[in-house]
Amino acid sequence: MIPTHYFLILSAILFSIGVCGVLTRRNGITIFMSIELMVNAVNLTFLAYARQNHSLHGLVFVFFIMAIAAAEAAVGLAIFISLHRHRETIDVDEANLMHW
Amino acid sequence: MAFDLTDIILTFVKIGIILGVMLNVTPIMVIIERRASALIQDRMGPNRVGPGGLMQPFADALKFVLKEDIIPAKAHKALYTLAPMFGLIPALTTIAVVPWGRPFVIPEMTIFGRRLFEGGRLFEPIVADVNIGLLLIFALASLSVYGITTAGWASNSKYSLFGGIRASAQMISYELALTLSAVGVLMAAGSLRLVDVVARQSGHFLLFNTIQIPAWNFLPMFLGFVIFTVSAFAETNRLPFDFPEAEAELVAGYHTEYSSMKFAMFFMSEYMAMMTMSALIVTLFFGGWDIPWYNEPPTFFGFLLSAFAFLAKVGFMMFVFVWVRWTIPRLKYDELMRIGWKVFLPLAVVNVVVVALLITMGWV
Amino acid sequence: MFELIIFFFFAVVTIVFALMVILHRNPVVGALSLVASFFALAVMYILLEAPFMAALQVIVYAGAIMVLFLFVIMLLNLQHQAEPPTRPVQQFLGFFLSIAFCLTLLFYIVKAGTIAALPSTPFVSDARAIGYALFEKYIFPFEMVSILLLAAIVGAIVLSQRGVSLDRRPD
Repeated sequence: MIPTHYFLILSAILFSIGVCGVLTRRNGITIFMSIELMVNAVNLTFLAYARQNHSLHGLVFVFFIMAIAAAEAAVGLAIFISLHRHRETIDVDEANLMHW
Repeated sequence: MAFDLTDIILTFVKIGIILGVMLNVTPIMVIIERRASALIQDRMGPNRVGPGGLMQPFADALKFVLKEDIIPAKAHKALYTLAPMFGLIPALTTIAVVPWGRPFVIPEMTIFGRRLFEGGRLFEPIVADVNIGLLLIFALASLSVYGITTAGWASNSKYSLFGGIRASAQMISYELALTLSAVGVLMAAGSLRLVDVVARQSGHFLLFNTIQIPAWNFLPMFLGFVIFTVSAFAETNRLPFDFPEAEAELVAGYHTEYSSMKFAMFFMSEYMAMMTMSALIVTLFFGGWDIPWYNEPPTFFGFLLSAFAFLAKVGFMMFVFVWVRWTIPRLKYDELMRIGWKVFLPLAVVNVVVVALLITMGWV
Repeated sequence: MFELIIFFFFAVVTIVFALMVILHRNPVVGALSLVASFFALAVMYILLEAPFMAALQVIVYAGAIMVLFLFVIMLLNLQHQAEPPTRPVQQFLGFFLSIAFCLTLLFYIVKAGTIAALPSTPFVSDARAIGYALFEKYIFPFEMVSILLLAAIVGAIVLSQRGVSLDRRPD
């Protein structure tokens, strides 16, 4: 049996790798992939606690998170396609029309 | 997790048998496909190499090994080399959850003075009997998209890219119809394990109170069977859905730039995926290893009979794959996508409703 | 014992591929590394006695969402655009803040000590139990998520259309 805090440590490391990707990269798709990485780290935390407390609610929540992440990926990528069509770039620093 | 040495050795034996069958599917299918296509097209197939052309696969394998291995200049070398391996992984691993024979009891035997299998030991001819059986197949089959997409992109050629993108779009569209049409079978079996699905089909339907028809799933769930089979054709990229390798349109689609062993690996993964899909169709709709009107005893003899029955059914299904390939013309790409989304997906949902009705009325 | 070996091996695989996602400059290699990372995470889910979730992770995330990512990257031909390098200030701050965040999280996890012992009965987490939960207790969120997915489909189609002018009259 693997103790729960091993999984929590892995989840924390994955989450901070995701945070680093969002803060450091300029490519919009890479930022989006780092966000997906963060969502998966949270999934892992939910499942670790669900196993420890034998709670089915954790599993159902992870199920819903996966469904919502799929919807978010679809809409987010549609937004990127739109941005690319108008600006010919997906560098997020270039999407600055509403900048002050 | 308590398992002992006997478990491990038996699992290795099962893996050995399955690998032996899967890796030998390609040479056998090569010669069968070429001779069967010749039969359908009223000509002679290859009949020079060996008696009746039976050594043709050896000649083909030798050709693949001896050809020069080319990597295009601007291709992404790492992904170009890895792409055929992405295709092989799902092809080799999905067969692990398919039961291919009747579980039997190995009797206690004494070899070289040592007692083995004390008290008899149940041998279950399925490599990995996990709780989520069929979902594992769908999970690993959805990874087969990556081999084609990566191959198309990494070749740095526009025909390959078009072939790769078309293939991925087609495969993910038909995955939905595939999964939904299998839901009917799962509802009847009440479990995700394929062992339960086969056990469910071992009874008989009584027609007019006298004639016994084997309770195979393709009779009550005929719509699901048709949708599943056609989606299986689309998943394995066989005609009439073979847009990814449409000869005369895209040169050779996503494997235009591949030669020798890498191309051989794509070739092998296609035939192995065909074998897995045939095994899956047989298990879900044709009763798996069940022999129709005979109750196999749980002995080694019964196991052999059921394994042969399974192989015969799978072989027939693969012949149907070859038969359809050389009979039906290829669809247009927009027709293909239209049928996948607008015809099969609603029909699969209708199939779920119909099967639910049949189960409630107790007819299944 | 075997479980620990499997855990450490796949944890290292997950972290290595996650690092490749954020560090490699080619987005296609990044997407494929993310697929490998999700696959290793699915193995983690199996170790957590949730095989149904592992299969769902591979089917939904690695098999559908990442294919969508790859489509967009390949169709927009994004690998040929050289991504302008991030300003050094932003890079330094980004790394520093995320490493500080990671260390803070790890400190608090380790400080909470070994979480209480695991119950010894097996966890009933198969499809049947989750199906009952979804259709009995969580039926309302289930239906809401299906409406949400419909909204996402319609939104994605509308957003990615070329500019449709609203005052087109049929001739």
